[in-house]
Amino acid sequence: MHPSDGTLRRSLDEPVAVDAVHREHVATCARCAGRIQRMSADAASLRVMLASPEPVVDLPAARARLARAETATAGGAVHHLPKTVRTRRTVASRVFAGLAVAGVASVLLVATGGAQDFLNLFQPSQLAAVPVSAADVRSLAGLTSYGTVGGGSSITFLPEPDAATAGAAAGLSAPVVASLPAGAPAAPRFAVVSGGIVTFTFNAELARAAAARAGGQLPAMPAGLDGSTLSVSIAPAVVVSYGVDPGALLHGGGVPTGEAFIVVATRTPTVTSTGVTVRQLEDYLLSVPGIPAGVASEIRAIGNPAQTIPVPIPVDLGSGSTVMINGARGLLIGDSTGLGSAVIWQHNGVVHAVAGTLTTNEALGVARSTR
Amino acid sequence: MVESSALQALGTQRLTDLSRPASEVGVRPTSFDRLFDEEYARVAAIARRVLGDPAAAEDVAQEVFFDLHRRFGDNPGAKAAAWARTAAAHTALNEIRTNRRRAAREERFGAELSPAVDPQAEVEASETNRAVRAALVRIPRRQATVLALRYSGLSYAEMASALGIGVNQVGTRLRRAEARLRKEVGDAPV
Repeated sequence: MHPSDGTLRRSLDEPVAVDAVHREHVATCARCAGRIQRMSADAASLRVMLASPEPVVDLPAARARLARAETATAGGAVHHLPKTVRTRRTVASRVFAGLAVAGVASVLLVATGGAQDFLNLFQPSQLAAVPVSAADVRSLAGLTSYGTVGGGSSITFLPEPDAATAGAAAGLSAPVVASLPAGAPAAPRFAVVSGGIVTFTFNAELARAAAARAGGQLPAMPAGLDGSTLSVSIAPAVVVSYGVDPGALLHGGGVPTGEAFIVVATRTPTVTSTGVTVRQLEDYLLSVPGIPAGVASEIRAIGNPAQTIPVPIPVDLGSGSTVMINGARGLLIGDSTGLGSAVIWQHNGVVHAVAGTLTTNEALGVARSTR
Repeated sequence: MVESSALQALGTQRLTDLSRPASEVGVRPTSFDRLFDEEYARVAAIARRVLGDPAAAEDVAQEVFFDLHRRFGDNPGAKAAAWARTAAAHTALNEIRTNRRRAAREERFGAELSPAVDPQAEVEASETNRAVRAALVRIPRRQATVLALRYSGLSYAEMASALGIGVNQVGTRLRRAEARLRKEVGDAPV
């Protein structure tokens, strides 16, 4: 018996919600395959038709605006909500093209523990956006020349046949996306990024040379800083990908032609240090020559580096906004064009991330339906 | 007893500085505050999907939460999120209808009746965009609503809750709505 239109339609968006009998039928029935094809084409077409520029919602401003309206009403004023003033901000939201690259890169750095990134030297239990320019990123990357980095090369990427195998290999359940964006490919790939320990050892001699290249002098070093080592222990990460083969991408191929995104889960990295505390090293590195004052100020303002991970958001391309993902506070980075968006959040000791060629709303939908 | 009363008062105190999260100003957030934080972006997104205009969508989101707070108070209950999502779609659809009436008035009496219209935005809005939004208000309201919800990223369970129907009915309604809107818009390239 052929499944109903409703069941077939749902199978496009939420394949795991459709029972096995129907899935097996559809896999072998040419008529149902044709029906699904038409539905899929309609969904893809409507997705384009209903697309529109998407703002990054400024929640504090929205709260304040509502408060003003409520105050005005409470004071006896006629109920009239002020209309939004069209500003450059609205227009600018359309110019977020390219943010995907930065957003995805940020997420992957956090989720997989990119070895050379200074910003991973913290133990995150919260997330905070740090606006950075491309020049800022280069300056921060230069911090690695103040010491030696080790251990990152042992991190590997291994495809896995299914969710169970991937989950078993990583030691945590593979994320399951209950609600796919309309028109997104239904069948995911699975992979595991191995864990490892990445170290950064501060070296006074290298640091003096790096400072000289940056045109300045090192500030006075606290006792114990020279030779102190930070060790970042990175747990294995499960990567579930839709419409893209991350393994092929890593080897320079497999560039997706349609909608593509990944969902990553990994246990929160932990940081240990010898010689000085994480906070002391952060304070010192943020005061060395060449570090942009604005970025240093932003990172310092975040507070305890053992509690919060700074996520770099390129100011030229967009901004991050705080979002709630099933009760957990997270960061949303992205644009409305579908060129790219990312959401990252942490809950119960697991960092989750969604990133890909999605609108911000689709990325939020995927994130909120991920279990 | 005094402590209990104080806690109760604190628990029902509205956040006076709404520009900051409740926890940051030492006030216990109400259910409404939490709902606002969790749902505002989603409600704006639903309206945007209908209107195709982020600024107008924010206006709708403000109207929805203003109305929700006025109707249900600080503790709006478990179904408030579903209410807000449906209200976003309905309010946005009404907005299109209102604008169409306004546009008709302008044709008759001149543009001075509508100073809020942004000429630049009007120019930017594509014919296709306008045709799709016009088609949305020609199809049955419940079909337009399910499209707005789905293409804003709601799951089938969330749509069922917002629409007050069984989850097994959602796919059928969505499929009919998609076919109807495609028919209304025609096969013109978009």
